[in-house]
Amino acid sequence: MASESRYPALEDLRRAMGNWSIVRFMALSDMRARYKRSVLGPLWITLGTAIGSAGLGVLWSELLKVDPKTFVPSLTAGLIIWQLISGVLTDSCSLFGRQASIIRNMNLPLSIHPMQLIFKHVINFGHNIPIFFVLALFLSVPMNFNTLLFIPGFILVSLNLLWICLVVGLLGARFRDFEFMVANVMPLLMFVSPVFYRPNYLPFSENVIWANPLSYFIEVIRAPLLGSVPPVFVYQVILSMLVFGWIFAIWLFNKKHSRVAFWI
Amino acid sequence: MTRLEFKNVTVQYPIYNSRGMSLRNQLVRIGTGGRIESEAGHVSIVTALKDVSFSLSEGDAVALIGHNGAGKSTMLRTMAGVYAPNAGEIIREGRVATVLEMGAGMDMELSGYENIIRMSILMGVSMQEIKDRISDIEEFTQLGDFLNLPVRTYSSGMATRLMFAVTTSTRPDILLVDEIFGTGDADFQEKAKKRMEDLIASVGIFVFASHNNELVKGYCNRFFRVQHGRVDEISRDEVG
Repeated sequence: MASESRYPALEDLRRAMGNWSIVRFMALSDMRARYKRSVLGPLWITLGTAIGSAGLGVLWSELLKVDPKTFVPSLTAGLIIWQLISGVLTDSCSLFGRQASIIRNMNLPLSIHPMQLIFKHVINFGHNIPIFFVLALFLSVPMNFNTLLFIPGFILVSLNLLWICLVVGLLGARFRDFEFMVANVMPLLMFVSPVFYRPNYLPFSENVIWANPLSYFIEVIRAPLLGSVPPVFVYQVILSMLVFGWIFAIWLFNKKHSRVAFWI
Repeated sequence: MTRLEFKNVTVQYPIYNSRGMSLRNQLVRIGTGGRIESEAGHVSIVTALKDVSFSLSEGDAVALIGHNGAGKSTMLRTMAGVYAPNAGEIIREGRVATVLEMGAGMDMELSGYENIIRMSILMGVSMQEIKDRISDIEEFTQLGDFLNLPVRTYSSGMATRLMFAVTTSTRPDILLVDEIFGTGDADFQEKAKKRMEDLIASVGIFVFASHNNELVKGYCNRFFRVQHGRVDEISRDEVG
């Protein structure tokens, strides 16, 4: 920990890995704090998602005139994945600001905060995903080898969310109105993503959906859950986002690393 | 070997006004070539430390004295590695602990016990060590059953006790303290003083920012006057 290295971003990430116990503790401790005063505890998330997808599923399958047996599982999976993505994006804006008391007082690597945030949302996701499997059993959604592909898909999405969280966190720390911008854009992104429908439901403008980067995140996890293999181009896009995203995030973090403590 | 060395360190930081903090205003400024929102990018640069050099080694107990806003807290944060210098070099060897701001690392929703664990983990203390120290912390804070209640129900004096107890329960190599433990009743002050003295005797380097000249004379053996971003070492008699 002697003098500053030439690549503070990489150094910071390396130190954050070394402080994994802090990341894990903080994520769990935040969870505990948040559900401290409720009887059901973290199960609130599960219950909320279950009620939400049941209600929307029945209503929308009528509206879109599709069979609820195929629509409800697809919607449930979509909503659960969307909760992960939108949760990370919205929380990232105020990420460093919320941890100001730690950042301004302790010499800890900054990247423990994005890691902790992603970890927390992964735990949330773990609370929600059983709903899908219960539903899948009842509605006899095909479960096969392809289903297992949701695990690599999920890992790819989480790694992508980590760099996004870091970039959004830095922007949110510097620009106070960035938070409102994200809050405004999120619903729009939800409607042009395949949360409510599979891309093939929209015969006229499938391309609109594929213009939204978040659509790939949803498909790469959901297609396996529904028993099919995601198209190859989904993997191609996600992998290139991973590579270029991380290069950009590290470049930005490297430039602005030492400024964050002054911004918040 | 504990060591803290500043070589020509300069710390500057930007102060943004509310317009500078706004992305919308920044975009408008770019879009209009800066003609309309001329104020948008106005950033004041504060030079908090200017070309500061010194070297601290094992056994040094340093007092930072100076007016409000002289740069004492910036100095402590730079020493801790929270603020990175714009120029110059800092060499830091040894584990650093800080008591800079009330409530650092605390979560108001969690109970006293959970906060002891939280803060200790953040300071890099292992679970086993925390278990060993809990009774010592209980004893020092005298908070009793309050330790089972959320910290948000504590008075500021009680929160200070807890924070002080946890921070001082570790044995860091370098301890940086800002003047925060001025609160609390007379009884606590007396105990805090005793604990502080024990701690100072055991840490390698101790740095303390304070306005209380009597206190610093009691604790410290080197005295730095901070003013206008400059740091001068003065003798004990000059402290006043």
